[in-house]
Amino acid sequence: MTTATQIQLNPQIIYFPKEAEPSLIQNEWQVWNGDQDEGGIPDLGYEDQKVLVPFHWWNTHHKNPDLIERANKGDIGVWFAADDDILKHADMIEAGKGLWPLVAAHFPIFRDGRSFSTAALLRDRLGWQGEVRAIGDVLIDQLLQGARVGFDSFELRPDQNLELGLNQFNLFSVTTQNSWRGKRSLLEA
Amino acid sequence: MYKYDAIDQALVDQRVVQFRDQIARRLNGSLAEEEFRPLRLQNGLYHQRHAYMLRVAIPYGLLNSKQLRTLAVIAQQYDRGYGHFTTRQNIQYNWVNLEETPDILAELAKVEMHAIQTSGNCIRNITSDAFAGVAADEYVDPRPICELLRQWSTLHPEFAHLPRKFKFAINGAKEDRTVLLCHDVGIELKKNSAGELLANIYAGGGMGRTPILGSLIKEDLPWQLLPSYLTALLRVYNRFGRRDNLYKARIKILVKALGPQEFARQVEGEWIHIAKGDDNFSQAEWDRVAQHFSRPAYKALITLSTEDLLSNLPIAEKVAFARWHERNVRAHQVPGYASVILSLKHHGIAPGDASSGQMNAIADLANQYSFGELRVTHEQNLVLADVEQTQLFSLWQAAKKQKVALPNIGLLTDIIACPGGDFCSLANAKSLPIAKAIQERFDDLDYLHDLGDISLNISGCINSCGHHHVGNIGVLGVDKDGEEWYQITLGGEQGNEAAIGKVIGPSFYADEIPDVMTSIINTYIGQRSHDESFIQTYRRLGVAPFKEAAYSNAKAKVQKQDAQGVPA
Repeated sequence: MTTATQIQLNPQIIYFPKEAEPSLIQNEWQVWNGDQDEGGIPDLGYEDQKVLVPFHWWNTHHKNPDLIERANKGDIGVWFAADDDILKHADMIEAGKGLWPLVAAHFPIFRDGRSFSTAALLRDRLGWQGEVRAIGDVLIDQLLQGARVGFDSFELRPDQNLELGLNQFNLFSVTTQNSWRGKRSLLEA
Repeated sequence: MYKYDAIDQALVDQRVVQFRDQIARRLNGSLAEEEFRPLRLQNGLYHQRHAYMLRVAIPYGLLNSKQLRTLAVIAQQYDRGYGHFTTRQNIQYNWVNLEETPDILAELAKVEMHAIQTSGNCIRNITSDAFAGVAADEYVDPRPICELLRQWSTLHPEFAHLPRKFKFAINGAKEDRTVLLCHDVGIELKKNSAGELLANIYAGGGMGRTPILGSLIKEDLPWQLLPSYLTALLRVYNRFGRRDNLYKARIKILVKALGPQEFARQVEGEWIHIAKGDDNFSQAEWDRVAQHFSRPAYKALITLSTEDLLSNLPIAEKVAFARWHERNVRAHQVPGYASVILSLKHHGIAPGDASSGQMNAIADLANQYSFGELRVTHEQNLVLADVEQTQLFSLWQAAKKQKVALPNIGLLTDIIACPGGDFCSLANAKSLPIAKAIQERFDDLDYLHDLGDISLNISGCINSCGHHHVGNIGVLGVDKDGEEWYQITLGGEQGNEAAIGKVIGPSFYADEIPDVMTSIINTYIGQRSHDESFIQTYRRLGVAPFKEAAYSNAKAKVQKQDAQGVPA
């Protein structure tokens, strides 16, 4: 049995569906970073764990019967690396809509904003209706931006203060450009 | 000028609250400096050589007297009694305390100002023509578009962490006074024969290490579609701009690598999906914003010729006033009015610096002579845009008392300079002492006037905040083994014939620069024909005679430098 290196595991996530209040919930999903790939998902240390696998790995293994079986049980999601060009894989993502309970987009470092565009494209272009989770180097000061471009759950870096994180979403009562969550503010007539 | 509505005001007020919390977390140690850095930069706060520096936005260069008074108060209470107007229509304070910055921002918010996105890897403060709305050569007043895009870009979530900084310039006049082609995106506004407002989009211009002029990538874009088109453009950049190398992260590198045509094709491919979306501007939004840029209550006056203006003046004042009028006064769209440039290039003062006292006095002048408004130019001067011609003489006398009436606009000592190594932690070399030494060398106004139009731009490092690449004469500070050297470029130009200057050869020591300038200027004087300007003479002759003259007195040091392998 091998124990794969994980990117991280935060036992709680911030869950902030559109048109609901943000809250802390139990994290059911482990992120597998693709290490120790021996043809299948290594044992991550828990039985029947729900796993987010790298999208590029899914691409090469999506016909694997074991993977299909786990995916059919709703235990497999994918995460997009910051340099994954999701528009080149629109068909695969379309097929994933019926299979993956959620997808995630990764921040290799907090100041890398590529996954903001990934989330925006998942929502606007590819019509992904399910959960989009921010993973990786996610800090509380990115939450507001992330929530606006299309993320609705956040697995923060483990050192982040989740209670402070929950307070980040209502800092602004107005916006001056449209986003996934709503239109820009207009003055009342 | 634009007045905040309840939405704008709420946004800047809440931004102060957000930043106050971020600073508190930094101070209590729960936010690491590395992670705080982009947060403070996106609020204009740099950590400089001696202290924190706060850069405050003056969106598209427009300011009212009340705001200028607040800027003066901030300089007095929180800094050392002066501020520095920058080449991007911002003002910088060099000596602020981290703990006090939320209070400064709260003061700014009270007068509808902020420091949002004046730094960081995001869409920066949008710059435009300092003569917008009044210039005689204007096709379209760019200010409503500037303001609409200011709002659109403010706290834009998708583009908060771009590969690198992103600068917009917007021009609506025949002459380009915005250095449009040296911006990440340049927007050129015009009207078609049906009177519809359209935009041409240039992308991939920039200065810095790799100076490149922008390429035209989109023509005749209806103004309403700017948000969707710019979203597409920025999205392509955000996704594919390089992040592996700080020096290759600007959009110019991406545009160059792909080629402008391919870049334009990719933007178009993105845009086609969002072009009809409701991100675009509506007529109602235009109306809401544009009403603030209606003309002030101009009187019905007649245009006066220079002779008219001079005819009744005291003899003793005539020559000096005429000279100031020639250099510092610009034609206006409205008969009987003129725009006045107040020079912040008094010899011996750091270019662009103004004291609290000057700011307050200039605010008074704005109230008395120009409907209480003023503008900041990218050359680091101030403009009173709407002055009655009959009041020019009286304004000139008042401006002289404040030392902002030097008739050197566009002349050799109207130097553009960054703060350089005296303040900036990025700088390789000082720029202010170089500017001062040149101003001292060329302190004779008669001589300066005889030389005519020459732009001299000084940057303390390759980041090019002093726009040296587009100066007719550019000076760039470089560092070698702890010594400060200066590289000279010639032939740069801003405006419609924008050009990047060429390096003439190995660098010079600081103390050689005044002599080098004299050699270059003497070459021009010796070679010019009739009323040829410096840049015209340079273009006719090429670099050779200037180069030869520049090095004739500096050979020994150049040889030493060659031996040490100092980069040219």
